[in-house]
Amino acid sequence: MSYKYIGKSYNRPDAINKVTGKAQYLDDIRLPGMLHAAILHPEYAHARIISIDTSEAEKMPGVVKVVTGKGCKLHYGDNIKDLVPMADEKVRYIGEPVAAVVADTTFNAQKALEKIKVVYEPLPVYIDARDSMREDAVLIHEENGDYWHLPTLKPQSGTNVANLYQLKKGQGKDGFSEADVVVEGDFLYPFGSCAAIEPHGSIVWFKEDNTIEAWSSSICPFIIRQDLAHSYGVPESDVRVHIPDIGGCFGYKSDITVEQTVAYIASFVPGYPVKWVASRKEDFTSTLLGHGIRMIMKIGAKKDGKLVAMETKVLHSGGAYADTAVNVTIAATHNCTGPYEFDHCDLTGYTVYTNTPPVGAYRGYGHQEAQFATERLMEILARKLGMNSFELRKMNYLCEGKVNSLGEMMWKTNGDMKACAEKVQNLVFSKESLHEDENFYYGRGFAALMKSPKGAPFSTKGCYIKMNIDGSISINMGGAEVGQGLRTIVQQIAGEALHIPPERIRVYNEIDTQYSPYEWQTIGSMFTTQGGRAIIRAADKLIMVLKQTAAQVLKTDVDYLDYDGEYVFLKNDPSIRVAVPELSRGYITSDGITIGEVAQSVSDARLPRYSNPDQNGQGSLGVEYTFGAQAAEIRIEKKSGKIFVDHFASTFDVGQVINPLQIRGSVMGGVLMAIGATLYEKVEFDQDGKITNPHFFKYHLPTYKEAPQQTVDFIENPGTVGPFGARGIGEHPVIGPAPAILNAIYDAIGVDFFEIPVTPEIIKKALANKQQKEYA
Amino acid sequence: MVEKISFTINGQLRVVEVDPEMMLIDVIREILNLTGTKRGCDNATCGTCTVVINGKATKSCNTPVSKVAGAEILTVEGLARGKELHPIQKSISESGAIQCGFCTPGIVMELYGLLENKPDASELEISNSLNKHLCRCTGFEPIKDGALMAQKIIQDRNKN
Repeated sequence: MSYKYIGKSYNRPDAINKVTGKAQYLDDIRLPGMLHAAILHPEYAHARIISIDTSEAEKMPGVVKVVTGKGCKLHYGDNIKDLVPMADEKVRYIGEPVAAVVADTTFNAQKALEKIKVVYEPLPVYIDARDSMREDAVLIHEENGDYWHLPTLKPQSGTNVANLYQLKKGQGKDGFSEADVVVEGDFLYPFGSCAAIEPHGSIVWFKEDNTIEAWSSSICPFIIRQDLAHSYGVPESDVRVHIPDIGGCFGYKSDITVEQTVAYIASFVPGYPVKWVASRKEDFTSTLLGHGIRMIMKIGAKKDGKLVAMETKVLHSGGAYADTAVNVTIAATHNCTGPYEFDHCDLTGYTVYTNTPPVGAYRGYGHQEAQFATERLMEILARKLGMNSFELRKMNYLCEGKVNSLGEMMWKTNGDMKACAEKVQNLVFSKESLHEDENFYYGRGFAALMKSPKGAPFSTKGCYIKMNIDGSISINMGGAEVGQGLRTIVQQIAGEALHIPPERIRVYNEIDTQYSPYEWQTIGSMFTTQGGRAIIRAADKLIMVLKQTAAQVLKTDVDYLDYDGEYVFLKNDPSIRVAVPELSRGYITSDGITIGEVAQSVSDARLPRYSNPDQNGQGSLGVEYTFGAQAAEIRIEKKSGKIFVDHFASTFDVGQVINPLQIRGSVMGGVLMAIGATLYEKVEFDQDGKITNPHFFKYHLPTYKEAPQQTVDFIENPGTVGPFGARGIGEHPVIGPAPAILNAIYDAIGVDFFEIPVTPEIIKKALANKQQKEYA
Repeated sequence: MVEKISFTINGQLRVVEVDPEMMLIDVIREILNLTGTKRGCDNATCGTCTVVINGKATKSCNTPVSKVAGAEILTVEGLARGKELHPIQKSISESGAIQCGFCTPGIVMELYGLLENKPDASELEISNSLNKHLCRCTGFEPIKDGALMAQKIIQDRNKN
């Protein structure tokens, strides 16, 4: 289908502000009377607080207030209210806020912080879910089970299991009786940091009129508003949250996290806005981590390759507070079948309290961790069956008429997995494979993938459209721009829907809960899909308003009229018409008497029939899936063990490309991020629960020279939910790289890895072992 | 100890009274309120604080302000002439190199330091420069595209 504004590379409306240094991020905000906070973190990752002495700190220059968590009974969270803004009797992770200093400058606040003396009584520290699940483990939350939680969650009181999610499809594990061949493995996707280049931060201002105003580098202003209102006993309407430009999110700036801590601190100095911005170290230790997911997976198949059963145990080391981790575990659990149909599934997800920073959203949200296991096991299964792995996958792909783990039937409009796979296969695997030479081993690896629309049934996105007097358009939405380019997409979708050039459509900059339409939070790669649908609904309403006014002006009925962006006109005689701008504030007749409504409209959109899970853990996620395939061509240097990704190919069936330049950028960035996780990035803990690499010297993000050449392709089978058939893409590119690269490593050197990152040291060790075995 | 230190920044002569050990980034952001220069790490590893000092791209987070006495400093706010963007700004804003934009000021200043001094810089020199900067959004290819576009515009401009 051809469109006027969809499918073309319009430039971002925020590009010039960003390239001139005028974009305003959280730390760039200056407010009258603003004070600065510094936060003290504990020396132990798990300990009782015996005493805190703040007397010396209070005497330091510039200090306005020293705050501790003593007596703080606030609990918050969106899924489980287990979070606290500051530790009271106990610390549960190394980055937890223990005390804070509010001062005139950040420098003075930090100086004073050094004078606070805290006495602790250390407790046993658990980093890995397997340790904190042991029967003799000390409880990290004695209150587990007593906290308010969503009714669909199942905390296991008296244990460190914050939630147990179980999914059964068909005969569950009994389905293995139909299998001729079984493969299994234990896979680890370790802790990572989203590590946006802008660290997280907030400003909170308790005002004398009993209202609260907050700014945050967050993607969920309406959750912050709701949660602060609840904590401080004021109407939501008296909490106003602003979201400035955001310097990257990738997951960890979702949900409510540091905002509650800054609010707690600011509540001690009413009248003054208080700013806190994480240092890079604090961004690692005191905001959300990602992953920490171990997949223990078993797959059963018939001799001919038909998959029959899957049994998976997901052990999620969820960190000291589980509010932000539970849904990641659930997503990892029901998405661990990857893009395949299994008649029988027994999938169990454990979200487990541990003594690390809380684990939360990370671009991919459980999908890459889960399908890392699936796509490695499919390769291993193919070997065991003696089958071509492409053929094995192809006969099992989810496609029209197949049913996924949740019990949802797939339709043609969900996209074409086979076509994605074929495209990547032809691109990467149709050439001769390279043979080992003096310096390098060469390998190629493939991964197919599926992305679900993990969100919440009530998740919606609002859109407000205002037509201005000259016929130009202003649009306001609640979608957070973290770099993904959603404002450009809004312009293009609205342009197409309203037949008005994107240049005449101005899109909102900041989000302000006082003025922006409601949006749950900008997560799950769902803005284009849901937000786009909301724009189309609002555009249709706006056009109806214009037609209703025009019907009075032209003395006819609404259904006899048509609209083309410039005029509303009579279908059977287009010369009888009225120009759109003349209808924008109602229509002013010759004697000044004005008729009709102002041309403005509001709408929103959820996914259709998205539901809570039933007693089997199944239920509808709104039937909005996306399929894709990715492949890596790698080189392993014999001397150093270093892996070079020379070429990486991705194809996704996105339904409809809206902006080719932007979508290519989203995919390339996501691929590189996941290459980082696969080869370099891991947040390391010592046995005391201290993070040993909370900086970019040792937590290595992939750089310019490590970026592979990429081929990015799309297939466009339109969906039924998103605007013009478009589906999401933001998280999808991170799902395939780890299994594709590890499959390529096997291709190159014949060694199976089950854990990332695969570093040069690990490769060297594997090569040495292999050599030893060959000689023996 | 507080000292008077003067320098030129974006063409304006400024005098600040500060601890000479204060880092230039703090002077630029907190005293001069030029917030286009960003802080992304604690130890000079991300590159987003890069400014141009006497024509050379330099990280401002590990440069004490005492080192810039009498210097000419350029920050990202000082590149455009009115509404006319510098060729590097124009290219970077059109090549897809901008997503979240937080690394952008540092990269723009890095490229300014390189290409205004050496318009014929080789691809290796460009990649050595860009390798000092972390970008979490783009996968780097669009930044390279923008750098090459900018180089061409600068070369053409210099011919005329």
